[in-house]
Amino acid sequence: MLEISDLSYSYPDGHQAIEKISLNLGAGESVALVGANGAGKSSFFKLIIGIAAASSGLIKIDELSVEKKTLKEVRQRVGMVFQNPDDQLFMTKVYDDVAFGPRNQLLSDSEVDEKVMAALEQLDILHLKDRMPHRLSGGEKRMIAIATVLCMDPELILFDEPSSFLDPKARRKVIQTLKKLTMTKLIATHDLDMALEVCDRVVILNKGKIFADGPVKEILYDEKLLLEANLELPLGLQKIN
Amino acid sequence: MHMADALVSPAVGGIMLAASAGAIAYSTYKCKDDLDEKKIPLMGVMGAVIFAGQMINFTIPGTGSSGHIGGGILLAALLGPYPAFLTLSAVLLIQALFFADGGLLALGANIWNMGFYACLLIYPLVFRPLVKKGITKGRLTLAAVLSVVLALQLGAFSVVVETLASGVTELPFTAFVALMQPIHLAIGLVEGLVTAGILLFVYNMRPELIEASAHNQKLKSDLPLKKVMASLLIFAVVVGGGLSLFASSNPDGLEWAMENVAGTAELESTGDVYDTAESVQSSTAFMPDYSLKSSEDGSAVGTSLSGVIGGGITLLLAAGTGALIYFVKKRKEKTA
Amino acid sequence: MTGISESMSTINSLEELADKKTIIHQIHPRVKLILTLLYIVLVISYKPYDITGLTFYAFYPIILMVLGEIPFMPLFKRLLIALPFSFFAGLSNIFFDRQAAFFIGSLPITFGLISFFSIMLKTIFTVMAVLILIATTSMPKIAYQLLSFKLPQMIVEQIMLTYRYISVLLQEVSSMYTAYILRSPGAKGIKMQDMGVFVGQLLLRSFDRAENIYMAMKCRGYDGKFLYAKPQPMIKSDWMILLMTAGLLFLMRFFDLGLFIGNFVR
Ligand SMILES: Nc1ncnc2c1ncn2[C@@H]1O[C@H](COP(=O)(O)OP(=O)(O)OP(=O)(O)O)[C@@H](O)[C@H]1O
Ligand SMILES: [Mg+2]
Repeated sequence: MLEISDLSYSYPDGHQAIEKISLNLGAGESVALVGANGAGKSSFFKLIIGIAAASSGLIKIDELSVEKKTLKEVRQRVGMVFQNPDDQLFMTKVYDDVAFGPRNQLLSDSEVDEKVMAALEQLDILHLKDRMPHRLSGGEKRMIAIATVLCMDPELILFDEPSSFLDPKARRKVIQTLKKLTMTKLIATHDLDMALEVCDRVVILNKGKIFADGPVKEILYDEKLLLEANLELPLGLQKIN
Repeated sequence: MHMADALVSPAVGGIMLAASAGAIAYSTYKCKDDLDEKKIPLMGVMGAVIFAGQMINFTIPGTGSSGHIGGGILLAALLGPYPAFLTLSAVLLIQALFFADGGLLALGANIWNMGFYACLLIYPLVFRPLVKKGITKGRLTLAAVLSVVLALQLGAFSVVVETLASGVTELPFTAFVALMQPIHLAIGLVEGLVTAGILLFVYNMRPELIEASAHNQKLKSDLPLKKVMASLLIFAVVVGGGLSLFASSNPDGLEWAMENVAGTAELESTGDVYDTAESVQSSTAFMPDYSLKSSEDGSAVGTSLSGVIGGGITLLLAAGTGALIYFVKKRKEKTA
Repeated sequence: MTGISESMSTINSLEELADKKTIIHQIHPRVKLILTLLYIVLVISYKPYDITGLTFYAFYPIILMVLGEIPFMPLFKRLLIALPFSFFAGLSNIFFDRQAAFFIGSLPITFGLISFFSIMLKTIFTVMAVLILIATTSMPKIAYQLLSFKLPQMIVEQIMLTYRYISVLLQEVSSMYTAYILRSPGAKGIKMQDMGVFVGQLLLRSFDRAENIYMAMKCRGYDGKFLYAKPQPMIKSDWMILLMTAGLLFLMRFFDLGLFIGNFVR
């Protein structure tokens, strides 16, 4: 459902963040995108959702290619959960924040309400609906950030570090949630244990290039490969010595 | 420099509210034309930065005292005059609500004194021309210091005028001015230097941010200051006139209405303050006996012993009522 | 630093108060906004020498505080911070206006003293009114109401966004400040010459943050329009409350309870 071929991108200052990436995602797949800091994960996401325009290469969501005039439709079909929920939640009330997307789709008030309530209910955070985002815990903010994307019914969701800054309980909740979501997911993360649990496939990004791509069980068990990409074995697989 | 509600009269507060509302409307109108949508979140975040930034105390070398930043010129240099003015207005409203800094009726005066001069007057007329020939360290510093000083002087002077026009304080004009202007000159120099430091740093790191608003040809070329002023004035006069009819301080609509409704002459006290003062002083050399009927005499209201006693009792009554409701509520909660 | 942490806790405590659900909290925000403004206008419309009539207005904040379950201490603290400026303005009256209005025994009570008390009472009443408003009405609700007063959408958006990010920025400034102080032993604050870097750094980061927020908005279909929710309309009972309370406040302006009691007592 996501087809990327020969994608390259340089920041205006000349720094090449993405170099000739080709990648295909099937519908319903759950793929982890791992790589050290600065490997280019966030930049890659920006290209897929069209916040930044690729220097060269093609991105297609099914038959829809990502370019300036298709951005509106692209963003209805692809959602992104940002690394920092404080950037994503900019309204003063949780309800309004979740409703922001549907309202921009110009749905009627009752349709908006339906979608918002459904998303909040699905994530089990209905009780937060009238709260103010700046008075919530990090875990709660993360769940709402997911709800803001979920309520737009995307076919593909990009998650940027969904488990960062969370305590074990909140992290567990996010993992359960990710497991339950059935749409196609691309999850950028340093949390390899989560990747192990949630994803079936892993793509390693290193210095803007794809370094490895394969089933979770193969890649995340391969200590040598991980070390080469400046990563290490998931804690759950490390031997205590 | 925040003015408080208690220090403005309804007329002055109303006129300044109207004037600031006019300036806000005009700025919004200007922004609608040529503000790209990207600036909306930027303005909001910058408002929060100024809000938080004003809480930072810095130490002033050699004085042992501390200062904090103001923000008008800084914002204008980063965002351009109109967005800066809107941003600052939002900040002032939030401060008025949460910190009782100023007040709601005095908000107009505060927006005018701290926002209008800096963002809409001094920045386009002083700051921009100074850096027009290209930004250098020297020019940026000069522009920042001079602009902040001038904006603060205008603001401080307005505080004097607005306070005196409100007739709340007896401070003579000359003494008030002699007090306010030098203090704000010192504050302005310090704040100006700090503003310059901040702008220089930002300029070194991201020159395009400051250049963008400094050279905004589009905005600059069609800044018809006369038109701004004229439309503001008309707005102020119309709305202020209406408001002051409704509630002004000297022979005002409210008193007029009271006279008609109540038919009392409590309003005698509206005469010239000094007249009243003198006459009451002479008549209180001995303590006249007031009765309910002769309220006309006791009408320099509050200027009598019985008035003071009555006022005290009223306050006690109010407190008592509060306590009563409190206990009744408690009772109900317990039984419920 | 005191400024930062104090303002964080002030905002916090006021927001917590606004979360309650008393009768006062449930009054329509527009009604509360109008009444607060009316109250302020009426209070400051009193002449400097007229303090007996003014005292009647003590009933309003006191009754609202009790019904709204607003504890006295936090408001009192804010009041103390707001008072000094008025105090000095009032003090000058004592100096410049020394004519005796009447005597208590042989002690002259000057007009200046009376107007001093008038200023103090007005300060207390107006500050209380504003704090009561924000302690019973959340900031977003007030901001939405501004739309119904025909304030341009753009400024309301600014109020909402700024309000949203104040706590984020206060947090950021406070950790930057701590980091600075830890590395400069004995410093009482930030050195003036370091302010450029300190605030400049904060500004640059905030530019990036704003960029991210913009992207987050874009991803969810942002097109320049940002506020959709409309202020809730006023219903009959809201109008009733508004008219009755406004009427009472006006009546209070016509009736000098203080003087009435004073004359009665004597
Ligand atoms: N706005 C920018 N301008 C220039 N270079 C940038 C910009 N943003 C990121 N980069 C550079 O691009 C590279 C990729 O950054 P990116 O944020 O995509 O990495 P990442 O994999 O998401 O890292 P992290 O795990 O830390 O989030 C980095 O080397 C970074 O320095
Ligand atoms: Mg990243």
